Parts: sequence; structure tokens; C-alpha cells
Amino acid sequence: MTKLGRAMRTVIGVVICAILLFPLYWMLVVSVTPRDELRVTPPALFPLNPTFDGYARAVGDQLPFLGTSLLVALGSVVLTVVVAAPAAYALAKLAPRGGEGITFGLLVAQMVPGIVMATGFYAIYAQAGLLNTLPGLILADSTLAVPFAVLVMRAFIHGIPDELIQAATVDGAGSVRTFLAIVLPLSRNAVVTVSLFAFLFAWSDFLFAVILTSSGGPQPFTLGIYQYISNYSKDWNAIMATAVIASIPATILLIVAQRYVAAGITAGAVKD
Amino acid sequence: MVFSTRRVRMGAGILAASLAVAAGLTGCSTAGGDAEANASFTLWDPYPQFDETSAWSQLLDKCATELGVTIAREGMDTSALTSKLLLAAQQKNAPDLAVIDNPLVASIAETGLLASTDDLGLDTSGILPNILAAGNVDGTAYGIPLGSNTLALYYNKAIVKELGIELPTDWASLKDAVAAAQAAGHEGIGFSAVGTEEGSFQFLPFFWGAGGDLSDLGSPESVDALQLWTDFVKSGGASASVLNSTQADINDQFLAGNLAFQVNGSWQLSGLDAGDVDYGIMPIPGIDGGNAPAPLGGEFLTVPVNADADRQATSAKFVSCITEPDNALEWAKGLSYVLPTEDPAIVEKEIAQTPNLAAFIDAVGAAQGRTSDLGTEYPRVSEQLWTAMQAAVSGTKSPEQAAADAQAAVDAG
Amino acid sequence: MTAALSATRTVPTSGESGTSGLPAPGPASPRRRGRGRGRAQWTAWAFLAPVVIYLAVFYAYPIIRNLLMGFQDYTVLSFVTGEAPFIGLENYAAVTANPLFWPTVLRTAVFTVTSLAFQFTIGLALAQFFNRRFPLSTLLRSLFLLPWLLPLIVSGSVWKLMLDKDYGILNAALGLFGIPAVGWTVDPNVSLAAVIIVNIWIGVAFNMVILYGGLQSIPGTIYEAAALDGAGPWRTFTRITLPLLKPVSAVVLLLGLVYTLKVFDVIWIVTQGGPANSSQTLSTWSYQLSFGPQLQFGLGAAAGNILILVAFVFGLIYIRSQRRLEER
Repeated sequence: MTKLGRAMRTVIGVVICAILLFPLYWMLVVSVTPRDELRVTPPALFPLNPTFDGYARAVGDQLPFLGTSLLVALGSVVLTVVVAAPAAYALAKLAPRGGEGITFGLLVAQMVPGIVMATGFYAIYAQAGLLNTLPGLILADSTLAVPFAVLVMRAFIHGIPDELIQAATVDGAGSVRTFLAIVLPLSRNAVVTVSLFAFLFAWSDFLFAVILTSSGGPQPFTLGIYQYISNYSKDWNAIMATAVIASIPATILLIVAQRYVAAGITAGAVKD
Repeated sequence: MVFSTRRVRMGAGILAASLAVAAGLTGCSTAGGDAEANASFTLWDPYPQFDETSAWSQLLDKCATELGVTIAREGMDTSALTSKLLLAAQQKNAPDLAVIDNPLVASIAETGLLASTDDLGLDTSGILPNILAAGNVDGTAYGIPLGSNTLALYYNKAIVKELGIELPTDWASLKDAVAAAQAAGHEGIGFSAVGTEEGSFQFLPFFWGAGGDLSDLGSPESVDALQLWTDFVKSGGASASVLNSTQADINDQFLAGNLAFQVNGSWQLSGLDAGDVDYGIMPIPGIDGGNAPAPLGGEFLTVPVNADADRQATSAKFVSCITEPDNALEWAKGLSYVLPTEDPAIVEKEIAQTPNLAAFIDAVGAAQGRTSDLGTEYPRVSEQLWTAMQAAVSGTKSPEQAAADAQAAVDAG
Repeated sequence: MTAALSATRTVPTSGESGTSGLPAPGPASPRRRGRGRGRAQWTAWAFLAPVVIYLAVFYAYPIIRNLLMGFQDYTVLSFVTGEAPFIGLENYAAVTANPLFWPTVLRTAVFTVTSLAFQFTIGLALAQFFNRRFPLSTLLRSLFLLPWLLPLIVSGSVWKLMLDKDYGILNAALGLFGIPAVGWTVDPNVSLAAVIIVNIWIGVAFNMVILYGGLQSIPGTIYEAAALDGAGPWRTFTRITLPLLKPVSAVVLLLGLVYTLKVFDVIWIVTQGGPANSSQTLSTWSYQLSFGPQLQFGLGAAAGNILILVAFVFGLIYIRSQRRLEER
């Protein structure tokens, strides 16, 4: 691509991004717009009378919730990858009998509405004493990602040339070593992509948190936000401020993780 | 090699750092809320906006201290509260006390989950009967009303003065007033026409004000009420947005200063006082004059049945303490709740606290419980009511058709 | 020549080779097949074990319970007394006989197909666009995932504000072009379109990121070979990229379908299925039956199960198409 071509791409990219992410900008605007200026015609693109009360409230209340969210999300990612990656490898390359059934089972697992899962878990957790605990939340949130992770990683791992795997076997490596030393590194794109989504699913989860925890226990910020929502009014400033503040650490993680999706991982690995 | 060890290390480092930060942030909060099960009572309420410093929490703590126990309070969204209450009941670990929205009390009581006031030995004689009736099943009361709120017509004094009109006394004059405001370039009237219980709540004063009865949604009076709202939206007196605006949204609109009339509740008083609009309050007019009966809002404090009789007895004492009018005055002020008592001394104190509450106190005295007539049938009927209302206001059906279909659905279901 | 060879070798075919006993693609490995077969199966299942246990423990109970609930008269009373008499297909009969049923099914179909179509094409276009390195490309790509960081209460509420008929920024923008204000969330003719728009917005990132990963896994050498052979960008895209992307696309579309069928929060927050049920889908209706004023959990479960049945059918189609690809 020419230099001009690259520059053009950047410009177009920024414009597309700006349009698609406009609602996020609006979230920022609402977070600083005073209550009585929220409903005016025409709406102001740029708030002239910003108020930062919402941020003050959010910072004062939400930090512990954010900490919990981070822990739960990261825990969820680890659990998801640990459970899903070996399964994806098996389904993609090891040809287990009945593997199709498992794939189908994973699909069916995802079709269940969240509320059904949550109320089902309540009963299980109540008996197992997992209600209102951090591991409980991590387990529950991981169910959002595991089937998805297996299916997506399976599709990716299929693309790994069999020669590479067989080369390892010929060299005497056992299946575990092959998996850890060859397959995992080669499916880095898949692992990162899947981890990203596992993080995001857990980060923005509200349903499991509201059913499976109570105040006084670990609660993510999605519940913390509800402090600002009552039957009678919504504290828009604080709600949006919380969302903005919560997005910062997660965005950093996102950007860092994206760097790991590299091009052409398998290119050049097979010599003829 | 495709894997750069330096990058791996960097990635691991970031992961470790995030975990550390996360752990640090949570460290301060999760103070393991498991006090000794015996001495700690649990109370669930739908006031997530109240924290430990609020008047409500302090009242709970005060009563707990008086009784020599501790109380763990949990505030959550109303719909979450209902779901969790049911789930907890199933697992046999319902809370000791639960604050339930009044139209739901009958349905939950019918399941046998709640203890009746008789069983709890509570004295209900000082409570306004129309309010207490909202929590009745077959004449037995299943909870004590914490406080009530209801609807009235707020008006923007500046706009009304500018228009030079009299305050409306019936529907004809209301329509004229709204049209006049519109003609002068203001927004006419705001109400919430959402497809939830909130929409029914807002519609009821007009439904009842036309002479309608919840046992017959297909009556001509019902059609009149539907027609009023439909005409407002059609003529532009009310924006079509009412179909998706909650009472909170309408209040925000009123606060912006360009809305002449709004149908809203007593709980908005503190917000309105803090705003810039010079507002007045009047009862919602009936179709031919007089005041329209307004629906009762507010929650009930209930005690789920507990096998441990002593514990249930203590819960009952909690209820007495919390609903003691002198105790309740302060926290009720925050929500501008009207206390359900006939005691004039208390009423005086309420007005002293919040002068504008006077209009609502009268309204509450004349208000009608939503479940008083229909009991556990109310939720179903209410759903058809708001469906009909939305169908008519959005233009999907004519008011006559909407009303007829609503009654047919009630009969069929 | 060498590039072309490696192209055929790396063509990813998807699907299982398990049950049909077909060998994995690529040169046969006789050593694997003979005496190593039993051991290979054992190994495969050892890798699968965590997921199988996971599925059994976490999904079996909720799924079976929900399935049963559809056949029971499950109401609020059932929670407290534990009684929920079996009433066979009565719930399903009641649900399908409800006048809301068929319109809701139609709306669900429109919602799903439209959302998927747009999410996928826009996602693919964006993925393709970002497939080259240019300044800021990594940053921009990461930013696209930002909508997923937000809890749906936040993104849904922001959209609701933006779509407001009188005070929303969207109508203000349309007004600049002389288009009269549209009642996005309040006009029954448009409300479904409104929730579709929000859903597309949310789903684009999902499609883009996964398809991007898929695109990145295609070796650059293939494109070089195609260029050498004189193929233009469009032909390269349709003849090489798309086919190579098939397994990933299939997964993305199927998952997108399943997730879109389940969509609840978005619609609930933006329009609540209204006005007058004009944006109600099977998912929101199921919730309303269970947790709305009726508290009829049996009915809600029945409606939800119908939804799962639809997803089920598409799942079967997916598996069959995988198998067919495999046999090719």
C-alpha cells in the first residue's frame, strides 16, 4: 500500500470509528449534562454547562465494585480458556467419536435464555453455598463464554495445517506437549479473540450478579450502577459517569490484547 | 519462532498488575457480610438509592438497637426483589422482612408466603382503611403500609399566568388549557403512557375520573378515558414520546420549564423544590368536574412466614417500630411519602416538613387502592388496561376497539 | 507453484471427522490409524473431559428444568408450595393460541434476519478494511469493542435517549436534512426498526473481531499467488477469501443467530416491547409471561422453549452443513 493509501485508510478508519462510536460520545455528554438540560430541543452536541457531580458520586461509590468486576472478569477468562482450549483442540483435530454430539450440546447450551440459567443456578448455588461468593460469580459468568469459546477456537484450530501437528508427533511429542507447544501458540489469534469476549461477557454481566449476589457480598459495578436507579428517578449523571470510569481499565486491557492478534501465524511454517 | 517471549512476559505482567489492582480495590469493600445468623435480621427493600447514611437506614438501625439485634438491609430494584423473594422462598431462606410494592402484596400473600397482621399481632386500627385495604386478601391484611403516594396535576405557574387561564376543573377545560398552552408555543401536558404498571398507574385517575370500573374495561366510560389521552397525543398537546417516557422522564421535562401541565406523583416534590420551576399542584379533575380518584402508590412492609416463632415475633416488633408514625416522619420526608395515619397531629407535622404535601394528603385520603376491588386479579386486568391504553394512544386501534379487546382478553384469560 | 501447493494444503475444512470415520484432511497418517486408534480416542476424550463435566454440571439442570416447566402449571404458588402439576401441552396450546403469538413470531424472524444480515456484512466489510496495517489500525480496531464494555442498561439507555422523538440527537441530525421527526421508540410502525438498529450496532463488533481473526489467519502468500495470477480485488475476495473464511463465517453466523434470538435486554430497555407490543419478540414475550404481572412461569417457559426449538433446528442445519463440507 502506498503511503497515501495508508494515510487515506487511517482517515477513513477514524471517520468510521467516530460514527460507530458516537453513542459513546453521547454517553460522555449525558454524564455531564445537568438534569434540567437533558430534555431540550434541539439537544446540545456539546454541553455548555457541564456538571461533574455525577463523577464525584461515581468515584465515591463505585471503586470497590469495579475491583470486583475486574477480578470476576479476569477469573472468568482464565477458567474459560482452560476449559475450552483443550476441548476445541480435541474436536478440531483429534476426531473423538461422539464429538459431533458435544458440538451440538455446546450449541444447545447457548440457546438457553440467561434468566433461565440464572434462576437455575440459584437453586444449585443455594445448596452448594456458592451464593454471594467470588468463585460462584466467576463460575457463573464463565458459562457465558465457554461454549462460545469452544466453537470459535475449534473453527480456528481447524486451519492449522496437520503437517505441523504430525511433525511434532513424529518427533515423539505426546498429545499434551503437542497441544501446549504447537497448537496453543499457533492458535494465538483464537485464544486472544476468545479471551476478549470472555472478558467482555463477564464484565458487562448484570443478570447473574443480581440473582446470585446480595449487597455485602462481592458485587460488580453493573449492580453498583443500580444505586442510581430507583422506582422514582434515574441519576443519569452518575450512571453514565460510572460507565465512563468503568470503561477505562477495560479499554486498556482491550487495546493491549488486540496487539496479540497477529497476521499470518501459519505462513511460512510449512516448507515444501 | 512465532512466539515472542518478551511479549509473553509483558502480557503476564499486565495481567498480574490488573489482578493486583482489582484485589486492592475490592479489599476495602467485601467485609464478609455474614454476621451471626441468629442475631442478624435481613430486610429487603426497593430503595437502592438509599445508602447507610440515609434516614431509612438510620431508622432501621435505631429499631434494631431498641430490639437488641442487628439488621442487614439490602436495597434492590423492585422487579429483582420480587424474583429473588420467590427464589428465596423456594430455597426456604426468605428474608425476615420484605418491603413489597402494594399491588403485588395480594398476589404474594395468596401463596401463603406472608404472615398476616393478625398472626403477627399488629394493631392496624390507626391506619387509613383505604390504604390498608390494598394489602388485603379476603379481608385479612398482610402487611403494614410504609407510606403512600399518589398522583396530582402539577402546573407551571408562569405559563398559566402568561396564558391568563383559569385552572381546569373538568376535562373540557383541561383540553382547552392544554390547547392554549400549545398555541402559545409551549408543551401542553405530560403523562407516562408506558406499557408497564407505571402506565396503568398514570392512566387510572382518568379511567376512574370518567367513571370507569376495573371490572369492565369495555365500558363507554373506559372509552372516554382512552379518547382523552388519544386526543391529547393526536393534537400534539402531549408528545407521542409519552408512550416511552417514565414518570421520572416527564418530571425532567417539566423541570426544563416549557411544560404547562404534568401528571405526576408526590415523590417528585423534593426534586421540584430543588429546581427552578415555580409550580403549583391541583387534584386531577374528573370528566364532569370534581376530583378524580387517584391510585395509591407506595410499599408495604411484610413479614414472610417464619417457622421460628420467636424470630417472627421480633420481626413483628420491627414492623411496629419502623411504621410508628413519629419514627417514620423523617425518612418519609425524603420520598415525600404520606404516612397512612388518621392522626391529625402527625398530619400537621408532615405539612410542617413539606408544605406542598398538603394537597397530596387530601388526595391520599380519597385515593383508591388498585387491588382493593380485584385483589389478585388486578395484575392481569392492569396489563390489559395498559395494553389498551398503548394501542389507543399509538393509533394502533381505535379507543372503542382497544377497550373491547381489553375486556375480551380479561374474560378469556 | 509452491505457494499454490501450500494453498491447497491449508484450506481449512470444518466439521467432525469423528463419527463418519473419515481421516482428517491432509496426507494420511497410517501410524495414527492402526493400533493407535483406541488410544487416540482416549486422548481425545481426556481433552474433552473438562468441557463435558462443565456442560453436565452447569447446563443440564437449568435446561432440563426449563424444559419441564413448559409442561407444568408453574405459578407463584409453585415457588412457595413446590407444587406444579403437569398439564401436558396446555401451556404450548395457550401460547400458540394467543393472538400475540404469530405476529410475535413474525417480528422475531424479521428482527433476527435483518440484524444478522447487517451485522455480518458490515462486520465483514470492516474486518476486510482493517486487514491491512496502517497507522492507528490496531487502536481503532480495539476501540470498536468498546460498546461491549458497557452494561446493556447503559448502552440501551443512551440509545433510548438518542432515539427520543423530541429530544433525541438522531432526529436532530435528520432534521438537518429536512426529514421530519421520526417516533423511533413510540411509533408502532418504526419501533421494531429502532431496536434492530441498536442491535446491529451492538453486534457489528462481535462479527468484525471474529472475522478479522479469521482473515488474519489466511496466509499472505495466497494473496500473493492470486495477484501473480492476475486476480483483481473483487475476484480475490469472492474466490479466495470468502471460501477460506467459510468455517469462521459459519460459526459467526450461527452464534449470531443464537444470540440474536435470545436478545432481551436491548429491546426491554429501549422500548419494552412496545408500544402496544409492536417490538415484542419471543424472547421478550417469554420474559413478560414469566415475570410480568401474570407471573405465569409455565407459559413463559413454553414460549422460551419454542425459541430454543428454532435455534435447535438451525443448529442441526449447521452440523449437517459441516458434515457435507467435510465429505467434500
